[in-house]
Amino acid sequence: MIQDVIIGIAGAGGDGVISAGESLITAAALEGYHGMMTKSFGSQIRGGEASCRVRLSTHPVLNPNGPLDVAVALNWEDFRRFGAELPVESSTMVVYESRTGVAADQLPLEGVRPGVVFSVPIAEMAQQNAGTEKAKNIVIIGLLAGWFGIGRESMLAGIRKKFARKGAEVVEGNARAFQAGLDFAEAHPLKEDRKLGAPHNRSAKMLTDGNDICAAAAIFAGCTFFGGYPITPSTEIMQFLDREIWKYGGAVLQAEDEIAGVGAVVGASFAGKKAMTATSGPGMSLKTEMLGLASIAELPLVCINVQRGGPSTGIPTKAEQSDLFQAAFSAHGDCLRPVLAPVSVGDTFGITVEAFNLAEQYQTPVIVLSDQEIAQRKETVEPIDTSRFGLVERRRPTDAELVNYTRFKVTESGISPISQPGVPGGNYLASGIEHNEAGGPTANGETHARMNEKRFRKFNSLKNRRDLFAVEGEPDAPIGLVSWGSVSGVAKEALRLAQAEGLHVKLLVPKLLYPVVETVYQDFFASVRRGLFIEQSFQGQLYRLVRMYADVPARVRPLAKSGSNPIQPTEVLERLREMVASLQATHQHAEAIEG
Amino acid sequence: MSTALQVEPTIETSKSGAQLVKDTYKGKVHPDWCPGCGDFSVLSALQTALLELRLSPHQVVVISGIGCSSNLPGFINTYGMHTLHGRSLAVGVGLKLANHELKVICVGGDGDGYGIGGNHFLHTLRRNVDLTYIVMDNQIYGLTTGQTSPTSVKGMKTKSTPHGNVENPINPIPLAMVGGATYVARGFSGKQKHLVELFKGAITHHGFALVDVFSPCVTYNKDNTYQWFNPRVKPLEEQGHDPTDFHKALDKGYQFGEEVPIGLFWKRNDLPTLEDLEPVLHDGGGPLAFRGLGIPGEQCRALIQELL
Repeated sequence: MIQDVIIGIAGAGGDGVISAGESLITAAALEGYHGMMTKSFGSQIRGGEASCRVRLSTHPVLNPNGPLDVAVALNWEDFRRFGAELPVESSTMVVYESRTGVAADQLPLEGVRPGVVFSVPIAEMAQQNAGTEKAKNIVIIGLLAGWFGIGRESMLAGIRKKFARKGAEVVEGNARAFQAGLDFAEAHPLKEDRKLGAPHNRSAKMLTDGNDICAAAAIFAGCTFFGGYPITPSTEIMQFLDREIWKYGGAVLQAEDEIAGVGAVVGASFAGKKAMTATSGPGMSLKTEMLGLASIAELPLVCINVQRGGPSTGIPTKAEQSDLFQAAFSAHGDCLRPVLAPVSVGDTFGITVEAFNLAEQYQTPVIVLSDQEIAQRKETVEPIDTSRFGLVERRRPTDAELVNYTRFKVTESGISPISQPGVPGGNYLASGIEHNEAGGPTANGETHARMNEKRFRKFNSLKNRRDLFAVEGEPDAPIGLVSWGSVSGVAKEALRLAQAEGLHVKLLVPKLLYPVVETVYQDFFASVRRGLFIEQSFQGQLYRLVRMYADVPARVRPLAKSGSNPIQPTEVLERLREMVASLQATHQHAEAIEG
Repeated sequence: MSTALQVEPTIETSKSGAQLVKDTYKGKVHPDWCPGCGDFSVLSALQTALLELRLSPHQVVVISGIGCSSNLPGFINTYGMHTLHGRSLAVGVGLKLANHELKVICVGGDGDGYGIGGNHFLHTLRRNVDLTYIVMDNQIYGLTTGQTSPTSVKGMKTKSTPHGNVENPINPIPLAMVGGATYVARGFSGKQKHLVELFKGAITHHGFALVDVFSPCVTYNKDNTYQWFNPRVKPLEEQGHDPTDFHKALDKGYQFGEEVPIGLFWKRNDLPTLEDLEPVLHDGGGPLAFRGLGIPGEQCRALIQELL
């Protein structure tokens, strides 16, 4: 019996690799298992190689990475193209298409000799049972359902539903192909039982991805306008809203470019509505001038950046956490825009709602840094209880304030009442040019300084939001990990592994990345003598950003890698063990001197 | 054909409309334009048009980009936005969708609209968004003190073209017509009354309306001056031009030389606007901007179901 399994499947485009992974995780979710599925493709739009990783567990899954427990190769050339994304170790069970002609003891895997290897005539079984090789993926899920005992009934039901449109013959053919997979698994039992245990609780899980859940959260938060432009890997946000938002009283504009997309959002926000745009790195570069305008004109809006590899076009289809500097500092001039980052698909709901709330409360653009990993991976999510989330709306002027209305009044909180067109007496000029309290353009240096101070001061209370930071582990631990976004799942898993070994470690996961809340880091680092910032960027951008504002102990260093090179929890664990050893050595050395 | 310029009696006037006077539209700030700038006339004509249409300041949003002429929203008392270089139309479209009952008037210069904002120009008119776009066309960059612009005539000497401009100018009239604008007009700052009628026609037109205004820069453009335009401009209304004749309108639009036609070139009323086609506005629930926040519990559950 096992509690957790990681399955990697790779083949050519059209082999149904992704569809196999989806069938697997859908069935598992219905039975109450937790899981994550990530997809990866070559650069071709259609065709080319495709792969997916499915991690299923009896308990919540924190990260999709780790060496494969099972590798399925429909052909070896395509499998090998994914390199470190599909890591095979000697413990990995390998299943591959017999037709490749490769001998089981001569797998084209450098430096690894997996112990359990099955050569399976997958295409032949598909052809024989379903009358078409297209059913290869159905054979695969049959094999996996057989060996791992996952979702046999749910999968069969899923197959029947999926092919119902195509007639009884196709349904039965695919059901036979599935059974052929099961039969093969039964005829070739594993020496070591690898059946997945019963799920922690049997309630069915929602299965969704970060883009869809972000769009749904926006509608929930009261967003009634979206302006944007298609860009990988954020496009599904716009598509979900195209499909759904009109039912909830909203509209979408697919603009002529990224600039116009966010421009329309600025216009809609001025009109008085909650509005959002979504993009990825290259689009973010184009949107920055509008973010600057929204900052100085104090107009609320939410901008989602689904990060991908950069700079420039970079790697459009793979995640990276390298846009943090841009989010914090992109537009010119002195200004501050809150930056939030969700840690998982499920967390994206609350973070998106929070982004709208902060935008409205502080009359500011808010940037949400999602990434391709969260955005496009399928993940099981516990049903969302929407009553947990309150909604905030911008501060409107009272009737009294509409007499000699002063839009940018310098108040104690720095937040001024904001009117909207159509309201008599509330007219004002929202301008990118510096303005006085009444909104009139000015080049006066003192006014500029006073308005800058107001625009920064209004964020003071944001720094009290400790709920936007998660701390886990022993409060006084001498070793501290800091991680954010999708990669924080890796850190969390590493923390669990370290705790299981009795190591004294703690973890800080900021969801509010900017402004840097100095006191949170001061408190966290008070006991810390060694540590790591775990990030998916070359520079370790959070590490460097935090050091601009807070003291970070000298021996807390970044563990940073460029995008799509997965950081493994075991790798973090190894570093933690080294730190423990180094701390002990230092301790002994100190004792020796004192002695 | 003078009938083409008559205002359609479809516009809603405000309850307080009776008290409107021209000073109602006077902004808090005095214009910073050079004495004699054509933009004064455009501002005045726009204020008169709003007055004659009995539009209250809260019903109107004037949006600009960057440039001398884009300072205009600061000088007029309505809701206003002074945005980024070239972006007034991009912002205007979102504003119009969020509150389709507002009169949205985008303003700016030739560099703003036809240069840096050229892409937004093409796509806003293609969508037939119901807004008015007034371009104060002085054929030069004034705020940056005199460089060639997208509408500078060939051969014109400017600070950036000391040997004369070698590029062909954009001709906004045929460009807008071919691109799908449903109201295309040209005015001249020296003929303010005529301009008022063009503006009124544009503001009441149901669809995208372009009014390109020759608005001379008295400081940096020594070629296309009031003196140059005055004898050349010929109102189309005095020539029996039929603004429903697309091909004749195109021919007129290409004229620029000894005779420069001004007036309403082209107009059609048979096309729906972007807002007309927006599904969410079909329920008659009024502007999105004034609808309540949040969605009821039942709808909420349906939304979450969509994720499964």
